[in-house]
Amino acid sequence: MLKVGFLVNPIAGMGGRVGLKGTDGVLEEARKLGAIPIAGEHARAMLSEFNRIRKDGDAEWLTCSGEMGADSLEKAGIGFSTVYEAPEATGQKDTVAASRAFLKQKADIVLFCGGDGTARDICSVVGRKIPILGIPAGVKMHSGVFGVTPAKTAEVLAGFISGDLKPAEAEIMDLDEDRYRKGEWVVRLYGSTLTPFESTLVQTSKMMVAEASDADVLAEIGEYIQELVSEEPGTLFLLGPGGTTEAIGKVLGMEKTLLGIDAWAGGAQPGTDLNEAGILKLLDKYKKVKLILSPIGSQGFVLGRGNLQLSPRVVRRIGRENIIVVSTPAKLQKTPVLRFDTGDAELDRVLAGRSWFSVVVGYRLSRLAKIQI
Amino acid sequence: MDRNPNAFLREEYQALVEKNFNWQLRTLEGPSTPVCKVDGKEVIMLCSNNYLNLSNHPKIKRAAKQAIKTHGAGSGSVRGIAGTMDLHFAAEKAVARFKRTESALIYQTGFAANAGLIPQLADKGDIIISDELNHGSIIDGVRLSKADRGVYKHSDMADLENVLRDADSKNYRRILIITDGVFSMDGDIAHADQIVKLAQQFGAMTYIDDAHGEGVIGSDGRGVGAHFGIEGKIDVEMGTFSKAYGVVGGLIAGSQDLVNFAYNKSRTWLLSGSHPPAVAAAQRAAIEVLETEPRHVKRLWKNTRYFKRQIKKMGFDTGSSETPIIPIMCGESSKAKELSAALYQEGIFALPIVFPMVARDRARIRVMMNAGLKREHLDKALVAFEASGRKIGII
Repeated sequence: MLKVGFLVNPIAGMGGRVGLKGTDGVLEEARKLGAIPIAGEHARAMLSEFNRIRKDGDAEWLTCSGEMGADSLEKAGIGFSTVYEAPEATGQKDTVAASRAFLKQKADIVLFCGGDGTARDICSVVGRKIPILGIPAGVKMHSGVFGVTPAKTAEVLAGFISGDLKPAEAEIMDLDEDRYRKGEWVVRLYGSTLTPFESTLVQTSKMMVAEASDADVLAEIGEYIQELVSEEPGTLFLLGPGGTTEAIGKVLGMEKTLLGIDAWAGGAQPGTDLNEAGILKLLDKYKKVKLILSPIGSQGFVLGRGNLQLSPRVVRRIGRENIIVVSTPAKLQKTPVLRFDTGDAELDRVLAGRSWFSVVVGYRLSRLAKIQI
Repeated sequence: MDRNPNAFLREEYQALVEKNFNWQLRTLEGPSTPVCKVDGKEVIMLCSNNYLNLSNHPKIKRAAKQAIKTHGAGSGSVRGIAGTMDLHFAAEKAVARFKRTESALIYQTGFAANAGLIPQLADKGDIIISDELNHGSIIDGVRLSKADRGVYKHSDMADLENVLRDADSKNYRRILIITDGVFSMDGDIAHADQIVKLAQQFGAMTYIDDAHGEGVIGSDGRGVGAHFGIEGKIDVEMGTFSKAYGVVGGLIAGSQDLVNFAYNKSRTWLLSGSHPPAVAAAQRAAIEVLETEPRHVKRLWKNTRYFKRQIKKMGFDTGSSETPIIPIMCGESSKAKELSAALYQEGIFALPIVFPMVARDRARIRVMMNAGLKREHLDKALVAFEASGRKIGII
């Protein structure tokens, strides 16, 4: 039977209602401004919907004591075993410890109630070992692991338990909260994890229709990019951040960083984790360039969320026609609208063009996605 | 390395059986008639492609028998070498006449037409743009080509226009748009007239797989070209003899240039034996029946209208059906399978279509109407649908 590790971040979301961004480090301030805990009610909404739709004999629940999970499960009438004893006042270290306990108990998925901060903490322990799924309740939810609503999250969990939904790559995003308080809004890619997805249905030559795993589709896209590279040995290929480009990098045989921009040309790697200056230097050396990007996080940002190395200057030099956006069809379905935010409104308008962009979703296969700037 | 060359055969088959994805074949004992014997049980057949019941038409059977007398059981060769008989040319002439195109070519099957011709129409440097719900044989034909591929949302003409604009801006050498004429899962008709218009704007070639439109839509069942009044404007009108015509074989209709190109380049056409004389004669006879006996197509639509009206009155959802293909939506896969089993008990043969052929919550019983069904057959089926539908909780 499947094991669900369940945790609630009791203080998640408290910053938002009183106008603070995030709750880490500002809990006292939030409380003074009159913030009250809201995570519990979101968790309960999700659990009651889950009870309504679930089929028989589904899952074993592991959780943390008190406000960190047990209370919500008890109220929902779901049986559980407590694998982590939480203190009175909980914090980041408890999320981390609980995640460790879930892994130790061989949980198959971590279901949490919180925001990007909580997701990040869980991911720091779990990585891509097992999928994580977030009941939306935090202030910031830029990561691609959240259900759209508590009720929809219940559907996703039920789908995962029944085997309909399979784990696929999703990005963990986070707002750098200290920089925010200095006046800078910097949402950046923090890491990559797994979350349950509706898998891609493809027509294969074996059966009429079959489910293609994330890995299969990424291999196909990688094969296509590999062919492009062989056809253009003199072209500089820049690969942006994220799990999708990371997978493509693997197919190409390059050392692809998860968070950075890496270069590939004619079978060699002229640059790794490049900054703006490094990219511009390479652009001087190569006559032709292709920039490969993929939508990041829950809002489908292609440019602007943490790839600040791709400054307006760099993007203008490269040109819209040399940008290739790649995505698995499953991810495109989750974030059907792409966003560009280079910081230069005029450039954004040029990129948006006719308000759609061609996205590579398979071997030589592309479809259009809408753009929002 | 230690290899077992045959172990995978059983392993992969077992895996399919475990997931219930394996095909279960049923035996039709006797001809494909509207009431027939399947696995020993007499049933009303609601899922055959024999729309007009022409596989049992006396004129067509007579023509086939006669051809065996005059030309034998087989053609003796491939078309390119010694297997082109006068009967084959006569059948192709009949197709061109019926479709009102300059010329026509007949392939061994519809699949062979798509798999053989599509890869020759577009190569590296070209792009093939397909409706997202196109039939598997088209997908395979496209895969065999080295062209880039674009997809547009099902029947969404605005999306198609955007995809065309995008392709145009990328300076592809050739653009080919391919779509089913009638979509086999939902029974809806492609907007062929709009597709042709858009194609003209961008200099794109149009290819319409009218397998489920032939003998069904358009005056006298001439197909999607006739249905929209754009005969001769579709660059490749592709179809099959195995459905409404009641025989077998793939066909393409278009210009003489198209036919000359096609038979010289299609590997499937060149490298497979040609049809037996009986088949070629039956193909021609089937076309002559459609040209002289409009009552079959009329009857098909009469039955379709009646059945659809009644089934909707009961509360069933027939999706976006516009043709004799009538999906009876059931929701979850298990409900569709239950309904099909219950109907079979009542002597109604209608198979379920479930995930992954269609989306998880869009499983259905796909009813294929038939000109040979009588009012009493339809009523018997309707009664069974209502009773079982209620019991299972679909209505």
